[in-house]
Amino acid sequence: MIRLESVTKSYSTEVTALRDASFEVAKGEFVFLVGPSGSGKSTILRLMNRQEQPERGEVWVAGKDINAMPDSKVPFLRRNIGNIFQDYKLLLNKTVFENVAFALEVIGRPKHVIKQQVPAVLDLVGLSDKEDRFPHQLSGGEQQRVSIARAFVNRPLILLADEPTGNLDPATGEGIMRLLDRINGTGTTVVMATHDQRIVNQMRKRVVQLDRGVIVRDQERGVYD
Amino acid sequence: MLARISYAFRETWASFKRNVTLTAAAVVTSAVSLLLVGSTFLIQRAFDNLLTRWKGDVELIVYVRSDASPEQIAFIQEAIESQPTIIDVSKLRYLDQAESYAEAQKLFAGDPGTLRLLTPENIPSQFKVVPTTDDSNLIRELGESFRGVEGVREVAYAQDVFDVVSRVSQFIRVATTVMSIVLLMVAIGLIWNTIRTAMFARRREIEVMKLVGATNWFIRIPFMLEGLLQGLIGGVLSCAGLWGLNTAWSNAVTDFNDTELAALVVSDGYVRWVMVMLLVIGAAAGAIGSGIAASRFLDV
Ligand SMILES: Nc1ncnc2c1ncn2[C@@H]1O[C@H](COP(=O)(O)OP(=O)(O)O)[C@@H](O)[C@H]1O
Ligand SMILES: [Mg+2]
Repeated sequence: MIRLESVTKSYSTEVTALRDASFEVAKGEFVFLVGPSGSGKSTILRLMNRQEQPERGEVWVAGKDINAMPDSKVPFLRRNIGNIFQDYKLLLNKTVFENVAFALEVIGRPKHVIKQQVPAVLDLVGLSDKEDRFPHQLSGGEQQRVSIARAFVNRPLILLADEPTGNLDPATGEGIMRLLDRINGTGTTVVMATHDQRIVNQMRKRVVQLDRGVIVRDQERGVYD
Repeated sequence: MLARISYAFRETWASFKRNVTLTAAAVVTSAVSLLLVGSTFLIQRAFDNLLTRWKGDVELIVYVRSDASPEQIAFIQEAIESQPTIIDVSKLRYLDQAESYAEAQKLFAGDPGTLRLLTPENIPSQFKVVPTTDDSNLIRELGESFRGVEGVREVAYAQDVFDVVSRVSQFIRVATTVMSIVLLMVAIGLIWNTIRTAMFARRREIEVMKLVGATNWFIRIPFMLEGLLQGLIGGVLSCAGLWGLNTAWSNAVTDFNDTELAALVVSDGYVRWVMVMLLVIGAAAGAIGSGIAASRFLDV
């Protein structure tokens, strides 16, 4: 589903965020990217949906070399990839329903599709009774659920999560992990960057560890370290 | 498709309301600059009307009485053509009464009183004379010599109006053109700035849109529509202003009945054509300003 081939990415001559990284993620897999802050986790995620482009190497997603595709095709690549962030990136002036509907609206999905898919995904993340609330009326965990609903509402092949539990207390974070696990269970490939040891150790999924831009470990059913 | 269109209009309207001050500045500037563009066109047209009698280097016009006989007209023509050293015989033109009447429609556009008195039967026909010499004394001497010829009603010299008017018109033309271009650029700049501000205010939304796979065009179109609308509203205001100005001017000129100024009035048809052009220029300026802003913003 995703393959990095000897990818090097630097933001400036001093900072090499990723050095000669290669790994592959199979369809339906769940992968943790772990490592200290600044080790290159977010960079890898941004390379996977072409928010960044590498200096060297290739990034293949769903059978396509995504750096070879023209800019005009990038939006269609991204429709197959959901994104979740530590800070949720919700639109504060929109309700829960509107935030999720927005993702379908702006890719031109018709109203009747929106009316059907948004409640379904809100049900999946357990927020059916809160669809008319605004983000500031929700707890952090609930806000993250909204952002997951938004990322998943178009049923993407891949979900990229960048420290989704970073702002949450352990119990709430666990709830989010159960949700991501469930989504992974529907066949969606999940790549999650985190430095939350407890969560990684609990989940026992594949672990790819980074250290200063270099992949130092790639382990099935791994632990944080 | 319908969903996309309604999305674009909703967003445009919302953004309009959010940036009332900037929008107003952009709209007013567009209106003023377009009004100047429109005035430039009308002024040029008015001067063209004024000089229309003298088009093609005509320096001397011999007006022939409306009741002159064909023999008298032929005699006048012979008299003119007998001076090949002073006039260019090949360029001598005779406007019969029908043609003179058509010309008068432009000339006296601002003087309906005079126009009403004119008919194709009572209007003088005319010989338009192009001289070969620049010597105005020589031309004047020749002209005066025609005054006595039977059937000649009046002799007119281009020099009397032409020099001053053409110089003034040239000056006004350059000045207003330069000013309107400068102001139009300012208007485009203001629209650009409004749209940039609007996009900056919504950068979070734009970020999310890009992440979930909205195309750049989808993101851009509401903003371009907003800019286009600003230009268009400026255009509408300028049209209203132009219409008012032109009406006031026409009324003022009509009070100077019987003078050359009557020709300075522009027909309604032409004014309407200029107004359509102002709307098009306004919309284009808005689309250009916002298009640049949107493309730049989406690049980064
Ligand atoms: N946009 C950027 N411009 C410059 N340097 C950056 C940028 N993003 C990340 N970096 C640098 O690249 C390195 C890797 O960053 P990142 O991928 O965000 O690491 P992580 O997500 O593991 O904390 C860091 O040294 C960081 O400072
Ligand atoms: Mg990071």
